[in-house]
Amino acid sequence: MSRRIGGILIRAVMTLLMVATLNFVLFRVIPGDPASLLLGGARISVTAEQIEAQRQTWGLDKPLFPDQVIDYLSATLRGDFGFSFKFRGKHVADLILERLPATIALVGLAQVIAVLCGVMLGVYAGWRRGGAVDHVTTGISLALYSTPSFWLGMLLVVVFSTALRWLPGYGASSPGVIVGSFAWLLDYLWHLALPVLAVALGLIGQYVVVARAAMSDVVTEDYMVTARAKGLTNRQMLMGHAFRNAMLPIVTLVSLNLGYVVAGAITVEAVFAWPGIGGLTVEALNARDYPLLQGIFLLLGVSIVIANLMADLIYGVLDPRVKQ
Amino acid sequence: MSKINVLSRSRLRARAISGFLRHFIGHGGAQLGLVCLGFFLAVAAMPDTLVGPLETAITATGDFLAPPSRLHYLGTDEVGRDVLNLVVHGARISLTIALLATVISLVVGTTVGITAGYFGGLADVCLMRVTDFFFVVPSFVLALVITPVALEAMGAGGEILGFRPSLFVIIVVIGLTSWAFVARVIRSQTLSLKERTFIDRARVAGSSNTSIMLRHILPNLVPQVAANGALVVANAIYIETSLSFLGLGDPLQPSWGTLLSLAQRSGAASVGAWWYLGAPGVCVLTVSLAFVLIGNALDDTFNPRRRVIP
Repeated sequence: MSRRIGGILIRAVMTLLMVATLNFVLFRVIPGDPASLLLGGARISVTAEQIEAQRQTWGLDKPLFPDQVIDYLSATLRGDFGFSFKFRGKHVADLILERLPATIALVGLAQVIAVLCGVMLGVYAGWRRGGAVDHVTTGISLALYSTPSFWLGMLLVVVFSTALRWLPGYGASSPGVIVGSFAWLLDYLWHLALPVLAVALGLIGQYVVVARAAMSDVVTEDYMVTARAKGLTNRQMLMGHAFRNAMLPIVTLVSLNLGYVVAGAITVEAVFAWPGIGGLTVEALNARDYPLLQGIFLLLGVSIVIANLMADLIYGVLDPRVKQ
Repeated sequence: MSKINVLSRSRLRARAISGFLRHFIGHGGAQLGLVCLGFFLAVAAMPDTLVGPLETAITATGDFLAPPSRLHYLGTDEVGRDVLNLVVHGARISLTIALLATVISLVVGTTVGITAGYFGGLADVCLMRVTDFFFVVPSFVLALVITPVALEAMGAGGEILGFRPSLFVIIVVIGLTSWAFVARVIRSQTLSLKERTFIDRARVAGSSNTSIMLRHILPNLVPQVAANGALVVANAIYIETSLSFLGLGDPLQPSWGTLLSLAQRSGAASVGAWWYLGAPGVCVLTVSLAFVLIGNALDDTFNPRRRVIP
């Protein structure tokens, strides 16, 4: 067991190392002087002293390998990703931390809704395979799964914001609301509704497809026949035998998605001008703000690696066979 | 003797293929997928004959954001271009990007998978560590940071093989970042294939490693490559659409994703121009669904145990 955890940890560190290496290499492929890039690109005037200071900090006069790599990695570990081009003089790490709560609110809420609805629907569809509910749910889920969530978001804006005027389709707050008050919280959730729905619908599609497949695999197992022969009720069979065994792939997928959904929400945030990491990514892309883009890449990498780590560990706990 | 042998073998193969085709065509999902795909391929093959050359802001014929009418079946965009015209030309760009990226990804994935599985040992460990990385970090995330850098390094002018540099970069980046899944599947299949007797026989007969991999293992991997290839295309369309939507596409050769990005920037959703954002979106949805259906049908046909689950 401890060997297994050790292997998982080593792999996680390797992945992060490769993300950091990719950042390092990409940053040096861009035409132009890395020192002036770190200071905000050639687009703004910087003094020779500032460039020299950057050269010192990042060791840009030293050989590329191993000195620069080591300097880069130690700076990354300290949380120093340089300065943003677009938001002059601001640290990339500060910018990202500022925007992180909005994204966590969006993807967290969407995850909860999607797990509740998607898993329930999928388990039911898999339990009653071939029924009317199964056909309708599976068809819709497959379509939702294949739809880019940002396009769903655009459709939601057209219907619920433009045509019906029920919900706001833009931004995170109404003008004039005092930040921190209860009215602000309600207003925030009000603005959150459509983006959350867009992200959640895509996830629901995925969860239904996977939960249904997991259930379908389980209900054809021999122990289900045994359970039926023992005289268990449908409910006992579903909860005690089928659902528990089908949980394994579902739990793994949900915990993996904790990492992937941040990246998946980027386009949705762009649709709704949601002030999270996605909005920041679009601004970084438009301004070709490389330090910011790399900070975001590192954040996405870290969240994906942590989610993978969690999935691996949970799998070990849930499946006793893995322990041996 | 050997002639009869060859004849019966080719007849066997023909029978196997026709049996496969009958089963595959009989699959409801496959029929729907193939019809949709055929339609879009036909549209992508001859956009000029169907709707004329790609309209620009100068040659635009309609009003701004006009709803669908007899003149413009799918309405117009914010500079008066016909949306049907844009979507039909977008089909060509989107499908070409997705298919070429898939070819790259299948070639890389199959090569890595076969090599790792066949040789085993250190080669396997090294290749699979790299594969793990690309498996864990999604193609979209990698493309998001690589594409702008590659664009800056290459410059934005001119054309490469008939593509604007940004589209060329997107093709290569998607192809080189989305092969990990294929490599894993191919590796595990190779691991089981190389233990079979016919591989031993080929080795005893003096075949080289390369020849065994190409002539004995590769043909047996066709089912896996085909079924996964269809899913890789669906994924490539998704990534291309997302990247273009974030502004990494090329407005001079607009794909469906670029059209959605233009629609978003012109505020089509907030003025209720559903036709402008609806048309490219429906196309993306239909094509990726078609590939998913075809992929599932291929999987079902090749793998009878899975036939229970549609």
